[in-house]
Amino acid sequence: MKVLSLITAVIVAGALVYGTLDMPKWGDPHSPASTHVSPYYIRHSLEQTATPNVVTSVLGDYRSYDTLGETTVVFTAGMACILLLRRGRKK
Amino acid sequence: MFEFIINYYNYWVYIGLMMIGFYAMMAKKNLIKKIIGMNIFQSAIIFFYISTSVKKGDITVPILEYTHGGSGAHAVDVMQYANPLPHVLMLTAIVVMVGTLGVALAVAIMIYRRYDTLEENEIIMNIRKGR
Repeated sequence: MKVLSLITAVIVAGALVYGTLDMPKWGDPHSPASTHVSPYYIRHSLEQTATPNVVTSVLGDYRSYDTLGETTVVFTAGMACILLLRRGRKK
Repeated sequence: MFEFIINYYNYWVYIGLMMIGFYAMMAKKNLIKKIIGMNIFQSAIIFFYISTSVKKGDITVPILEYTHGGSGAHAVDVMQYANPLPHVLMLTAIVVMVGTLGVALAVAIMIYRRYDTLEENEIIMNIRKGR
């Protein structure tokens, strides 16, 4: 069982390393991720949301509905923990 | 060859960390060790995404400078700041990670109360015996 798990892990690692060969170089300022979408947020964050912290402005303004939905995730997890762990009446 | 390793070793380190968690999830018999493996796996993914936000050169965290009271009239140099979007997405992922960890630990506690053990083979033995 342990040998089978080790073989699976090595195969998956090999597949992932093969996948990284198509990634942009680490720290490349001209990679697609840092030239296509993110400059818009860095440039317009201050005038559109009046927040110097770009992470805060994206989380709280541009993606505020997503953040609202995240509270549902936390609430559901908390409710699940409470329902599992409460010491109810013995059957 | 050396240049190639310098450009890509960052990704490989996180793949190694991720496979440690993956192996723990598959091979370990103790349920708490499986949960720890799941946590290592998720942390590796988060580290990977955070590491892709870096740009080589003279960069800082994505908090705009010299904006006290002003309306940001001066031009913002994009190449001066790290990419903010991976940070935001990983904040969302951290919330999900904490939720899954909490529920998994609660389920492990319930299994321990029911079967008095956390070892997988002993639990399966108890179920077969119909206890």
